[in-house]
Amino acid sequence: MKDKIKPRHTPGELRYTDLTAYDKGLVERAVRSGHSRRDVLKLMAVTGVSMATAQNLLSTGGEAMAQTPKKGGSVRMASNLHGPDDQLDPPLMTSTIDYTRSRVLYNSLLQHADDLTPQPELAETCEPNADATEWTMKLRQGVVFHDGTPFTADDVVYSMNRHIAEDSKSVIKSVLESVQEFKKVGPHEVVAVLKNPNADLPTLLGLFQTKIVKNGTTGDGIGTGPFTLESFEPGVKSTHLRNENYWREGANLDALEITAITDPVARVNALIAGDAQLVTQIDPNAFRQIEEADGVTLLSTPAGLQMGICCLRNTEPGSNDDFVMGMKYIQDRERIVNRILKGKGTLGNDHPVSTAHGADYCSELPIREFDPDKAKFHFEKSGYKSAELYVAPVMSGIEDACLLAQANCAKIGFDLKLKKVPTDGYWGAVWMKEPVNVVSWNMRPTANSQMAIQFAPGAAWNDTFWNNDRVGELLTLALAELDPAKRHAMYCETQELIHNGSGMVIPAFSNINDGIASNIMGMPKVPLGQLGGCEWPEFIWLA
Amino acid sequence: MMLQMVLRRIAIGIATILVVSVIVFVMTRLLPGDVAQIILGQGATPETLAVLRKELGLDQPGYIQYFIWLGDLFTGDLGISKAGGATISSLIGGRFGNTMLLAGLVALISIPISIVLGLWAAMHPGSWLDRIITFGTLSTISVPEFFIATIMVLIFAVELHWLPSTAMLADNMSFLELLRGLAMPIITLVIVVSAQMIRMTRAGILNVMSSPYIEMAILKGVPRGRIILRHAFLNAIGPIINVIALNLAYLVSGVVVVETIFAYPGLAKLMIDGVQTRDLPLVQACAMIFCTTYVLLILVADIGSIVSNPRLRHPK
Amino acid sequence: MTNSNEQNGVAGEDVVDEIDKFAELPDVPPKRKLKLSWVGRIASGIVIFWLVIAAVGPWVAPFHEMDMDGDDSFLDAHTNEYGTFYLGTDYLGRDTFSRVIWGARMTIGISLAATLLAYALGITLGIAAAVKGGWVDMIISRMNDAILALPSIMLGLIAIAAFGSSIPILIIIAGIIYGSSVFRIARALGLDIMVQDYVEAAKARGEGIWWIIRSEVLPNAAMPLATDFGLRLVFVVLFISSLSFLGLGVQPPAADWGSMVRENLAGLTYNSWASVWPAFAIATFTISINLIVDDISAKSGGSLAKKMV
Repeated sequence: MKDKIKPRHTPGELRYTDLTAYDKGLVERAVRSGHSRRDVLKLMAVTGVSMATAQNLLSTGGEAMAQTPKKGGSVRMASNLHGPDDQLDPPLMTSTIDYTRSRVLYNSLLQHADDLTPQPELAETCEPNADATEWTMKLRQGVVFHDGTPFTADDVVYSMNRHIAEDSKSVIKSVLESVQEFKKVGPHEVVAVLKNPNADLPTLLGLFQTKIVKNGTTGDGIGTGPFTLESFEPGVKSTHLRNENYWREGANLDALEITAITDPVARVNALIAGDAQLVTQIDPNAFRQIEEADGVTLLSTPAGLQMGICCLRNTEPGSNDDFVMGMKYIQDRERIVNRILKGKGTLGNDHPVSTAHGADYCSELPIREFDPDKAKFHFEKSGYKSAELYVAPVMSGIEDACLLAQANCAKIGFDLKLKKVPTDGYWGAVWMKEPVNVVSWNMRPTANSQMAIQFAPGAAWNDTFWNNDRVGELLTLALAELDPAKRHAMYCETQELIHNGSGMVIPAFSNINDGIASNIMGMPKVPLGQLGGCEWPEFIWLA
Repeated sequence: MMLQMVLRRIAIGIATILVVSVIVFVMTRLLPGDVAQIILGQGATPETLAVLRKELGLDQPGYIQYFIWLGDLFTGDLGISKAGGATISSLIGGRFGNTMLLAGLVALISIPISIVLGLWAAMHPGSWLDRIITFGTLSTISVPEFFIATIMVLIFAVELHWLPSTAMLADNMSFLELLRGLAMPIITLVIVVSAQMIRMTRAGILNVMSSPYIEMAILKGVPRGRIILRHAFLNAIGPIINVIALNLAYLVSGVVVVETIFAYPGLAKLMIDGVQTRDLPLVQACAMIFCTTYVLLILVADIGSIVSNPRLRHPK
Repeated sequence: MTNSNEQNGVAGEDVVDEIDKFAELPDVPPKRKLKLSWVGRIASGIVIFWLVIAAVGPWVAPFHEMDMDGDDSFLDAHTNEYGTFYLGTDYLGRDTFSRVIWGARMTIGISLAATLLAYALGITLGIAAAVKGGWVDMIISRMNDAILALPSIMLGLIAIAAFGSSIPILIIIAGIIYGSSVFRIARALGLDIMVQDYVEAAKARGEGIWWIIRSEVLPNAAMPLATDFGLRLVFVVLFISSLSFLGLGVQPPAADWGSMVRENLAGLTYNSWASVWPAFAIATFTISINLIVDDISAKSGGSLAKKMV
């Protein structure tokens, strides 16, 4: 679960939870009295809500509208990893448990809806100038931090400039590279000055790390978020109470406990036994157990969680085209999705864009078939008889997929040796260093950012060291292209280039799989992270 | 003489602790990736790494870092976790209590059980009871403890809903709630350590039973039960104390599997986390605690053996 | 578990020395000829069975350990076009029966090799320390204490993170960790024997130190050490399985029993026996070895027990 970038801007959109109680009641009554979706839309149009907003309300409201949220109760969330390095300082956050705490304690300037459009949060508006080099944000007024200090532009300028400062150690420093600085314009107005145009800036303002802390602090847990910090022991747990002075309607739950159970079997058992109400990262082997148990639900959110094997193109054996082709043809993609991911995933086509990216996914490009004969042909042509693949359990199912590839390689006489290494130290010691290694990427909100981060020539995380100028050119051109058909054609070409030329083998994308107690209502479905993009604390309620 | 022996052991203990500090320091140097790399994860760039490394003092030569740390240790300062920024004493504090609580409860239950069963088996060697105890203890020794623990969870938490599946403690728990919360790890660990202690108690007593003066007593017609309780047990107590001490040391430092499965925040898991996050000061602090515990327990056991052994108490 | 077991061979050896020194009679010289009870004979049969399986496993197993030919994961016994899955399939649809057979070779092979290494290291250094004494003894003993004072899992974890997890590395790590226990026994035995009359006599005759070690010390230490061998072997099996719990065991797809138990734990809830069978294999193998050890130590006058604690 690493950093992520977010979608194209449609600022100013309301979501269901932003409505006043009166408006919510209106929408709910309409839905419950059996009106069709179109009737409801019409009704809202009458009340002066734009069609786009109404659509958005319906999609973000969804489940929450089915019943009236109830206040009260508490839950325990068990993530998959924690340790002494747990952080409350947003710029250094790298794990699901940190992200969840950031959502509990702080707010961002913008946040993501289930369909990945940016929504107003602490910034009420976010408007670009003509060439998208300056973005002006009007901040919400009347917001206070947990200790009573009013929230102002100073907090925003401080929090955001920490990422881009010269001596910044922020995880997303390079992601915010295009930003020159955040400048205070008024007590509640901030402008982001960019070095070069970036239409995706609003998506970046909703990243897990871009939470607003109090001016001059480094993550002491005092934010503007829906819960306050009651206790925090790194690697053990944190407890939280509802923030009664919250600027939105406020959370439904009275209290939260956030902890982790690192053993996957124990985590599922804790959910079923009722010792935790929300657990992350369910192993595919446990799907059936959860589906058969009473009182718990498997929450599988379609997402482009990338299962990848990097063949480094700047060194042997990945520099050999035939070796890479062999690796691509030996992937039994159907079986990986159906048997290893138990159907909770989608086929990969050796490029990083998945069906979860919607229209930007190139459906015209046929999925590469599992073809041992072709694989054999290419391996033989490459001259290699064996290769070493570094494997760490960076995501569920990736080791199993490698084992499957190994077994299939053995049948055609190619010796694919698996070298299993621990996850700790993997990103520093193995990834982008060993010639053939596994990788996992969280879904990025747009196809463009998804491809750019790994395949733009010279990108910091070009993890197969494959540089193709045409790809770089297409990615830049597509950002400025407004005609959907032309843009689709450009993205298709990019995907095909990566599919054929890069050293990246992507047999499948996994869903995000979590488990929750069945009485939890109002779960968000943002596909950018576990448990609805870690957005749940403010919105869920207990039936 | 006795004082000399004790002093010698204390000196040996201190030497051991120093050697451990060097070994741990050197070993952690061998780990791939450093704490800065781990903190920044997949998103690291050379630039941010350099900044963070400098801030964490990782750009200093190794031996300087070692002596700085050793100096701090003497003044009672365990340092600051490189990974999270919390002081190590605050990280260790609560967990130390948790570990001691669990180890204490397990010891309280398992030591009497082990001695009684071990004695019982030794009183009737070759009987069916002895065979059952032997076979039972061997079976539990032989199976990996995560297997035992998982089966316990499936039976008592998932199926029967009698006990919680994890041992998560809250601050305001009553003692009974605490016991209920800790029941699963306690039962698992009692099974694991008792087996070993029962076997060694039995072996120790049978061993003494074969010595000539006991054989003499048997020939004189002293009842077997009395011989065991009055003579054999007292003579075997030194080795038995030693086994108990080693098992206690294990309960403090080695129960990482049980702590992981029951999500119990103890020291062993903290140390493993420290290794995985390359948090050198944290690993060293834990290693020092484990090593000191080991040395202390062995010291107590040795003194216990000396005191309980008349021949050592009054050496020639 | 591994830890508590392993450390039992090691404590307070000084005290043991003292006890031995003052024992009324020296231990009876151990008998060289073994006669096992019926339990011991059954146990030997089981151990021999597993040794044979380990030797011929790959040729008798119906499937290769990496073949994923089962109809689905965690199935009961079934037959399909590839063959019959007598004990059902594991979490990846591989044949449990074949993997237990393949696993015998890996599990027993690693534990045998590691235990042999532990003995080579432990006996050499232990007897060297006992015979040389002085500073040599002091230095080796403190290093050894340090290894014992640290949790074995921690040592294993660091070493594997540093050098990677390969079979030779696993063997070396386990060999060093368990060698430290052997060292203490060997040193205690060595010290014990060095003060015996026959050694004194040999010294008086002006025999060289190597002659004394070869013809007096080693033969007399052989029996207690041999009986301890079985226990060490068991601890190595459990140590490797604890490492596999942390995801650091044998390299996939190799099957070792400990990791097979671990990787199939999720199947327990579906009434899949995929993790029970390898656990059963570990149990039969290790219990049998322990029973043989019990038998032998009972026959050797219980002197082993004294060395062990």
